[in-house]
Amino acid sequence: MKVRVKAEMCEGHGKCEKAAPEIFKLGDDDISIVLIEGDLPKELEEKAERAYRLCPRQAIELIP
Amino acid sequence: MTAPAIEPSDINLNNPEHFQREEFHELLRILRHRDPVHWNPPGEVSNGFWSITKYEDILFISRRPEIFISSKGIAGPGIKPERLAELDFAAQQQNAGGNASIITMDPPRHVKMRRLVNKGFTPRAVNAMEPEIRRVTNEILDRIAHKGECDFVLEVASQLPLAVICGMMGVEQKDWPLMFELTNKVLGSGDPEYQTDIPEEERGTGQAARLTAMKGLQTMLEYFRGVLEDRRQNPRENDLPTILLEAEVDGEKLTEGDILQFCFLLIVAGNETTRNAISGGLQVLCQHPDQKRALIEDYSLMDTAIEEILRWTSPLHHMARTATEDVELRGKQIRAGDRVLMWYPSANRDEDIFPDPYRFDIRRTPNDHLAFGIGEHFCLGAGFARKELKVMFEELFRRFPDIEVVGPPERLRSTFINGIKHMPVQFTPER
Ligand code: HEM
Ligand code: SF4
Repeated sequence: MKVRVKAEMCEGHGKCEKAAPEIFKLGDDDISIVLIEGDLPKELEEKAERAYRLCPRQAIELIP
Repeated sequence: MTAPAIEPSDINLNNPEHFQREEFHELLRILRHRDPVHWNPPGEVSNGFWSITKYEDILFISRRPEIFISSKGIAGPGIKPERLAELDFAAQQQNAGGNASIITMDPPRHVKMRRLVNKGFTPRAVNAMEPEIRRVTNEILDRIAHKGECDFVLEVASQLPLAVICGMMGVEQKDWPLMFELTNKVLGSGDPEYQTDIPEEERGTGQAARLTAMKGLQTMLEYFRGVLEDRRQNPRENDLPTILLEAEVDGEKLTEGDILQFCFLLIVAGNETTRNAISGGLQVLCQHPDQKRALIEDYSLMDTAIEEILRWTSPLHHMARTATEDVELRGKQIRAGDRVLMWYPSANRDEDIFPDPYRFDIRRTPNDHLAFGIGEHFCLGAGFARKELKVMFEELFRRFPDIEVVGPPERLRSTFINGIKHMPVQFTPER
């Protein structure tokens, strides 16, 4: 599974970083950055799904 | 003898009485348990609609803004198309929700318009405003400090959101009472108290509500036409009308109509919802004295307390969408063209998501409530609303820790806004 943040949707609420700090980090412009390029390690998939669910702006994309 | 059980088929949520009398929680519970995708039959002039009462289903709909669109109206069931012509402009406005503010706009244009202003609403922007919010809060509290009692809604809860949003819009302080009055007319249009332009014997009808909303809308648009005229000559820094005048989408400037609708939306959206979260928050804390005391003694509980207040009060009863294709949901056929109403207070008490949902608990975690909606139209002002609530309760309880609600709150007659119009409070005055 890969993760992407749609920058045009993200408004820096930071829920993703809270749910999965291994995967997301808020940048200086308040837009979330994905720290892991390519496929996520299996053990992080659940956290990624939680972040996807919590993002109030639907800015996170999970690509199977 | 016990009262006869209410069947889902008996339930008509297009009735403001249920909401004024606070019966709606029980009705929503019955629907959520027994008919979570419920067809509410049409009224005399209003459309039928689907009542959506499960948390997961509201997520499902909110995540599909291309299929469940906002541009045909976001509040209430809307007017039957065949009745529109005779019901004049007001009804048409109500159906279309105004022509072009972001809340009634669909993808792909929606996000482009939203991005013109959203930098002003980020966590960073909100934090930068905190000292100003605290200053204004204390000014408001100074005015009641010596009194020992007041109408909490009029004198406190309504004043902070009004000051914050008017500040961002560059509305002069002398005009704040007008903005307060017009917001009430637009969002409280169904309540006879605000139908002041209607002869007394005609108040309380659907037509009176539509005319009241229209009057509020038109006066507000007129007001902002004047503001825009001024800003064209005298642009200001950090001023939303100026930002909108200078903005471009797809290489084109916004029309005056677009900008006026945007200003109108920001004023009404920023005002009444936060007011009701503040009033409702104080009410529910006073109903739970042990938790109120715990909070006053330990402000580190404030963040979770605010989230619980938002879950508990759910200041907006619903948002509406219109389906653009046939969709099956829990075995029900939603047809293209059907209206769906997403009932937030029900999602926020959904047993599948919140353990013991009818218990108020200022420590509740996690608390992923939907009071601000979710997805494409997620509340732009959520950060400000949260900050206003936090600062207000911190300062209020610091200065008046013994404040109590001393009479029944007067509730708004509305299927849309969970409103409190008046709420008497008492406290030990400052010397
Ligand atoms: C406790 C207070 C508040 C609550 C409960 C609340 C609730 C909501 C909800 C549920 C929506 C979603 C609409 C939809 O899905 O169709 C929304 C949208 C919106 N809210 Fe709030 N709101 C609050 C405070 C504010 C404040 C303070 C502002 C402005 C400063 C504001 C500005 C907006 C705007 C502009 C939208 C439209 C966003 C869009 O369509 O993209 N709100 N609000
Ligand atoms: S939760 Fe969503 S909107 Fe917020 S920072 Fe993360 S991706 Fe952006």
